[in-house]
Amino acid sequence: MSVALRRRRNAELGLGILAGAVTVGGYILVALSDAPDLPADLPIFLGAVIGLYVVAHLAVRRLTPAADATLLPVVALLNGIGFVTITRLDRELARIQAGWVLVGVVAFVLTLLLVRDTRVLERYRYTALMLGMLFLLLPLVPGIGRTLNGARLWVSIGPLNFQPGEAAKVLLVVFFAAYLTEQRALLAEGTWRVGRFMLPAPRHLGPLLLAWGASIIVMVQEKDLGSSLLFFGVFALMLYMATSRAWFLAGALTLFVGGAVIAYQLFDHVQVRVTTWLDPWPEAQTAGYQIIQSWYAFGTGGALGTGLGLGNPDKIPNAATDFVYSAIGEELGLVGTIAVLAAFLLFVGSAFRVAVDAQRLFPKLFAAGLATIVGLQTVIILGGVTRLIPLTGITLPFVSYGGSSLVANFVIVALLLRISDEARRAPVDDRDARSTRGVAR
Amino acid sequence: MNAAIRRTGIGIVLLFLALAAQLTYLQVLRANELENDPANVRNFLRDITRPRGQIVTADGTILAESIEVDDEFEFQRRYPTIGLFSHIVGYQSIVYGNTGVEATYNDELVGRDFDIQVDDLSGILSGTDPTGTVVLSVSAEAQTTARTALNGRRGSVVALDAQTGEIVAMYSEPSYDPRPLASHDLDQVRTVFGLLADDPNNPVLARAWRERYAPGSTFKVVTTAIALDAGVATPDREFPRLEELALPQTDRTLQNFGGSECGGTLVESFRVSCNTTFAQIGLDLGETLAEGIERFGINTDSPPADLNPRVARSVGPERGSFELDQPSFAQAGIGQADVALTPLENAMIAASVANDGVMMVPHVGIEIRSSEGDLIDEIGPRRWKDAMTAPTAAAIEAMMLEVVDRGTGTNAQIPGVRVAGKTGTAQAPGGDPHAWFIGYAPADPAPGQRQFAIAVLVERGGDLGSEATGGRIAAPVAADVLRVLLGLET
Repeated sequence: MSVALRRRRNAELGLGILAGAVTVGGYILVALSDAPDLPADLPIFLGAVIGLYVVAHLAVRRLTPAADATLLPVVALLNGIGFVTITRLDRELARIQAGWVLVGVVAFVLTLLLVRDTRVLERYRYTALMLGMLFLLLPLVPGIGRTLNGARLWVSIGPLNFQPGEAAKVLLVVFFAAYLTEQRALLAEGTWRVGRFMLPAPRHLGPLLLAWGASIIVMVQEKDLGSSLLFFGVFALMLYMATSRAWFLAGALTLFVGGAVIAYQLFDHVQVRVTTWLDPWPEAQTAGYQIIQSWYAFGTGGALGTGLGLGNPDKIPNAATDFVYSAIGEELGLVGTIAVLAAFLLFVGSAFRVAVDAQRLFPKLFAAGLATIVGLQTVIILGGVTRLIPLTGITLPFVSYGGSSLVANFVIVALLLRISDEARRAPVDDRDARSTRGVAR
Repeated sequence: MNAAIRRTGIGIVLLFLALAAQLTYLQVLRANELENDPANVRNFLRDITRPRGQIVTADGTILAESIEVDDEFEFQRRYPTIGLFSHIVGYQSIVYGNTGVEATYNDELVGRDFDIQVDDLSGILSGTDPTGTVVLSVSAEAQTTARTALNGRRGSVVALDAQTGEIVAMYSEPSYDPRPLASHDLDQVRTVFGLLADDPNNPVLARAWRERYAPGSTFKVVTTAIALDAGVATPDREFPRLEELALPQTDRTLQNFGGSECGGTLVESFRVSCNTTFAQIGLDLGETLAEGIERFGINTDSPPADLNPRVARSVGPERGSFELDQPSFAQAGIGQADVALTPLENAMIAASVANDGVMMVPHVGIEIRSSEGDLIDEIGPRRWKDAMTAPTAAAIEAMMLEVVDRGTGTNAQIPGVRVAGKTGTAQAPGGDPHAWFIGYAPADPAPGQRQFAIAVLVERGGDLGSEATGGRIAAPVAADVLRVLLGLET
């Protein structure tokens, strides 16, 4: 490893130690507040989580030494804050979450090991599409699909419960990045003459319509509005990034709004979400209960928060999953919520940097798609719990309790690191003419 | 492609900025409102497991304190004086929340008040939580005397410092024991609460400021003040001697007490509490009466006192109703018909006469102290209403002195003290009349001497029933309490 690469990895380690210090500090505060009366074995789980990040760091040193140095420490920080918050809410969930971090880090290392070259993924684009659609629709299969909190997102096979939609989102981004890389010229220029306009031929637009259809099915059949919005938003933005044609965005927005309006007319659960978003107070004990408790949590937290372990975030329903940000808002205040938001901004910003720095088109678009997933998912759930937009239950990446989400997001980080490493190690003369910023520094 | 990727990134950053703006809105601009929303249970849950300061009287009696206990709530609230101050102090219940001073001064008791935090910085460093002690203006001795003097009869005694509005005694009979309601045994709390709620005597009701009664003849103080300030009457104006007064718009009449004949000057009429005179004044005032009572805080918002539940609104004839219903104004002149006052309001009326016509905001809290005993905050006197002019107050004082010297209120006399007062025997539907006395002493305070105003109400004439009058039943109670307040041995 060269001096420059070693320096970058040492910077990553330094930032990771900072993230670890924040996590341990938060953990000690929870323990001192003595409200939840922590059992003696929990520090072991905290130690295990920190140890797993050391493993992840060593894997990065070994497998992607030139990769971006901020992504993994930011993930460690977000995951650490999430773990502390979950510990504070429910010690049993914290133990399970520690187990999911283990699975996540294993998936992370495996991804780094298996995906040595992003060209492999580009090649298996249709496999990714088939698997992605399968996972997306799996919860609808009778017998194994499960409905929880009104949304049919879960699959139960034997003792295993998971949300296949989390895996689907990564697989479908693989397909779309590959497909759009191939078709971008045709889509951008248009080959289909309609009057004075040149439009992309319908067969080139097929996958877009497929995505729209899939997102509508998810919205209607699985009643999962958040994932529906996320899928469609990511695909529309990738189409825009691939073609630089803003009217794709306008068209996609029209399609989504049209679909949403029809869904609003036809389905009660969509209407309820919108009504409680506009005014939750008349239904304070029923439909509006969650969002009002969330507002109380943010308001009670105020600027500085009540202090870890000193609030009552257990009054918010689903505080460890969808509403984990409200729990952070109550106990850590605006300082804490803005810090978490800044960490996400850093993550999403670094991910977009990876995309911009990538030389080949497929990894560039793929990284941009992954950055968009994390960014949009963050906006959808945080906008929901703060009542900026209608509430749709999805997890806050890395922070919320939840195995499928955590594992999928670990895979996303591994893929971003692979792309980053690839770009920074590529010989200078091999570069795409438009990407001039990929110099390791 | 990079330009489009950057633009997408910028778009997501803008969405993040919108989130930051919404968070600032919730956690800064709306924070206070959301935190204190009555439906937000957080503060209550937090406070119940926190140490909590004492509530004490100015003369050092502990009314409420917390002791550490070995259960999930960590602290148990104790009320050493049992039922003596329960309406004022209230209770802290894990089921029903806080009432009384426990509610109004909750932030100070748990030390949420910023000044207490700063003052107790050393306490924070040494690991003890800062709490505040709330000092009340009430006197345990006067309160005990009020209870003894009521002697189990339903009613209220309210005594105020006439110049500051400080409540020095306020007892309502029957009262209740707050201790089982502060228990940590949920079943016990619910059972006792249910029993109290079902009790026909309604002991939880703070009659002194939550129940309204026809004030009867005590209201002649208000009628007279409004008439003097409006120029409708002078102390020397002669009124005809009558047994009854014909009421307009009807063939009914309004009779004097016991059907006796009375009249003469305003002073003479006031001394013997002559109904026909004051009913006539009520008619002469008309709309001016409805306007004037608002200067006494009647038909307005209730006084902003630090009492919980808040003070009930006292009522009288509405503006604009004279043309339609003149007999009600004759009745209002003698404190009947539409007039209904809380005993607290009636004490404030007496205090305003003593205080040159100025009505003060009544309050029980006077000081907030740190757990170390350092003074954090003082709750000073606040003007509320200009009820009457100073010359009118002086003229009414002269009439009220006559009442106690040689009128209906002689039972309120205290040897060596100039006592001003007015009795009332108020007809109330469904039973015997209520017996009232309002007044104050001393009427001629030495420089620096406190003047105490008092209102005594005995529901349904107490043990005398239909034989009761304000002078017989209520005036002696007032004299007992005033004697103690003035430092005279009973």
